[in-house]
Amino acid sequence: MAAQRDTLSIWQVVELARHRDRPYSLDYIKRLAPDFIELHGDRISHDDPAVVAGIGTWHGLTTVFIGQQKGRNLADRVARNWGMMHPEGFRKALRMARQAVKFGFPIISLVDTPGAFPGESAEERGISSAIGAAIMEWFEIAVPTIAVVIGEGSSGGALGIAVADRVLMLENSLYTVASPEAAASIVWRDNTRKVEAAAQLQITSRDLLAMGVVEEVVAEPEGGAHADYDDAARALDAALSRHMEPLLSMEPGELLQHRYERFRYVDSLVAADPRFGPKVEPKVQVSAESGDAAGG
Amino acid sequence: MYGSRLPPIALTTNCPSCGVGLVPEDLREQVYVCACGHHFRMHADAWIAMLADPGTWEERWADVRPHDLLEWKVPKPYQETIEQAREEGLNEAVRIGTAEVAGRSIWLAVFDFRFVGGTLSIVAGERLARGFEQATATRTPYVLIAATGGARMQEGVLALMQMAKVNGALSRLHRAGVPYFSVLTDPTYGGTPASLALQGDVNIAEPGASIGFTGPRIIKQATYADLPPGFQSADFQLRCGQVDMVVPRTELRERLAHLLRLYCRGL
Repeated sequence: MAAQRDTLSIWQVVELARHRDRPYSLDYIKRLAPDFIELHGDRISHDDPAVVAGIGTWHGLTTVFIGQQKGRNLADRVARNWGMMHPEGFRKALRMARQAVKFGFPIISLVDTPGAFPGESAEERGISSAIGAAIMEWFEIAVPTIAVVIGEGSSGGALGIAVADRVLMLENSLYTVASPEAAASIVWRDNTRKVEAAAQLQITSRDLLAMGVVEEVVAEPEGGAHADYDDAARALDAALSRHMEPLLSMEPGELLQHRYERFRYVDSLVAADPRFGPKVEPKVQVSAESGDAAGG
Repeated sequence: MYGSRLPPIALTTNCPSCGVGLVPEDLREQVYVCACGHHFRMHADAWIAMLADPGTWEERWADVRPHDLLEWKVPKPYQETIEQAREEGLNEAVRIGTAEVAGRSIWLAVFDFRFVGGTLSIVAGERLARGFEQATATRTPYVLIAATGGARMQEGVLALMQMAKVNGALSRLHRAGVPYFSVLTDPTYGGTPASLALQGDVNIAEPGASIGFTGPRIIKQATYADLPPGFQSADFQLRCGQVDMVVPRTELRERLAHLLRLYCRGL
């Protein structure tokens, strides 16, 4: 498995992150919390099918789950808008976060999106301010919150549900300021140069761990998460439990202060060493079955 | 008018809206607004000169400098971009400091579109966040002038993280009851409106400014949509409920002074 990780090209990781058989949010949520009940709507105007939200029992705790959801076949993909959220999706997520605060439920948020929807309807309904307001409000959601990038984590569309106390990534997922296609389109005005863009952007889980942007990379089954949904979910569950445990005993004020500092100094590795980046040997700490604590 | 304070700006010979021949000195006097109403883009120095009472601007954290952390090489090495901008006298995409407007102290943060398209970078985010923290601590109102292409690609995911860093600090400013006014100028796109630029107590757009999350070129590429005329204009954003008012630049200073009077009683 280590050999496989070392030999994958960046674009192969992108293809794995986008694999048509890759487990999506609901595949994980149903395994983490078999009694999951999905709730719908932003209570203002719409229900956004690109994001699922609801509650279920996870390790004896009623837990709020939020997850960007892609579709498995063409009809489903269209219905889910390829996991690209509209403003109402961010409002639905925050409505559930407020509910978590009301009842003291922890939150698990699963990121899997090529970005917020880049279209007319999203612009008309205020996608920018919806994302900005969501990012701001996450800093006031005083319950333990963990975000996990399970596939694609692109742009503000990903960050809008990923302001959390811990941010984890599955091994073959990506997290980036813009999808490789969008970045190529911005930098070269040519979205066919996506492979070059992906390489420059440094978007793999090991890149992000080395930059100090995520706390842990969760190992996937041999061949990738799509090879064994149950195994992938078990590894995710173990990592989530390990990270959630210390958060559950933190006071709300302490939690929010920690979350503030987590993002306030998210670039401190760079500030400490301006030449930080590719010169630093990536120290990938992959969670093992033995439960070796990783990240920091 | 206070146009005579402004530094000169490179202009086209004719107004792109009405075609009239431009006289640079006259246009400067009119804070770079053509008689037809066309607003020319102003850079950070001009904004500071226009808004701050003479002699009150004190720039902060100008020594925080960008680094090529991803060793970005193509189409142009990021290090070269940074050095070239520095040689042209530019100091990052956001400049910040304290100033007085009509005798009232404010924090003033101004995007400079000339520096890598006014993109949100680690340095820009650091200056914006420190400003929000200081403004919160001293209960000083914060004024933002946005002119930006969004997050800076050359700083990768750490540029994206600035959106959270800045909005975390902004959330504390709001909670502390300190006023925040955001002025959106042409263009304001991407991660900046999707973080701080539309979260003002009052959002003000300049006439004719284009404001949105995704730019029209990428929307057309993604959805093949025929975008209607005026899509993402200041008036469009007023109709869509995203900005409170569209204020001509010639009236902006008075409007800000008025808002400061109304919001700062008791501060």
